[in-house]
Amino acid sequence: MSGVALYATLVVFGVLVGAVAGLLGIGGGLLIIPFLTLVAGASQHQAEATSLLVILPTAIVATIVLRRKGIGDAGLALRFGTLGAVGGVVGALAALALPAHVLRLVFALFLAVMSVRMLRDGLTTKAE
Amino acid sequence: MADASPPRRRLDRRLVTIGGTGGLLSGLLGVGGGLIMVPLLVVWAGFRQRDAHAMSLGAIIPISLASVITFGAAGEVRVGYAVALTVGSMVGARVGAGLLSRIPERPLKIVFGVFVAGAAILMLVQ
Repeated sequence: MSGVALYATLVVFGVLVGAVAGLLGIGGGLLIIPFLTLVAGASQHQAEATSLLVILPTAIVATIVLRRKGIGDAGLALRFGTLGAVGGVVGALAALALPAHVLRLVFALFLAVMSVRMLRDGLTTKAE
Repeated sequence: MADASPPRRRLDRRLVTIGGTGGLLSGLLGVGGGLIMVPLLVVWAGFRQRDAHAMSLGAIIPISLASVITFGAAGEVRVGYAVALTVGSMVGARVGAGLLSRIPERPLKIVFGVFVAGAAILMLVQ
């Protein structure tokens, strides 16, 4: 893909990513990074850096909308997120020391357990 | 739907741990901060699913900002791609957040559970 078609596809894909991110409370890196490497031909590092730049305004827009609607507590989220950012720097340094496949495996197992829990809750709790 | 607004809550040990875990994972893998914070906010911190999603998005702001500052200096950003994606995602984020404010808890849990299961498989396969 090249030129106008690629950029048009990126905008459309961006709408999809933003909608999923806003609904699910995630950044969207999991969707953006593979798309940039596989479709747009970016390198892994370029995809990761570009993804971060997209996530920031996406999360800001979603947070503003949700704050207006009185969902969650944006001030509290910003505060524990700021402390989390410190963890991010530690994590980036640790990433250099630990093998990536070990990290992926631990993360995947955690997600598998949590998905079972969410699905079980979603399927068994009474309707509101 | 008669949703009461969430009770005011202070910054406690669990929230700090959740933010730290989300940040750590984002730093380690470059992805997954929200995917780990949402379930922890629900299962461990006791937030409703909807509020957990909103809190996760709020926490992602400083976490991604720190990463942008830390790694952005490397100059690997494809600016044109970022702009095109952001034009779309800012529109999409309004749609998604609007949907989050209306969708009942049950289907929200199911949608999130399915997405997380897919992400787990993706991480294992890669």
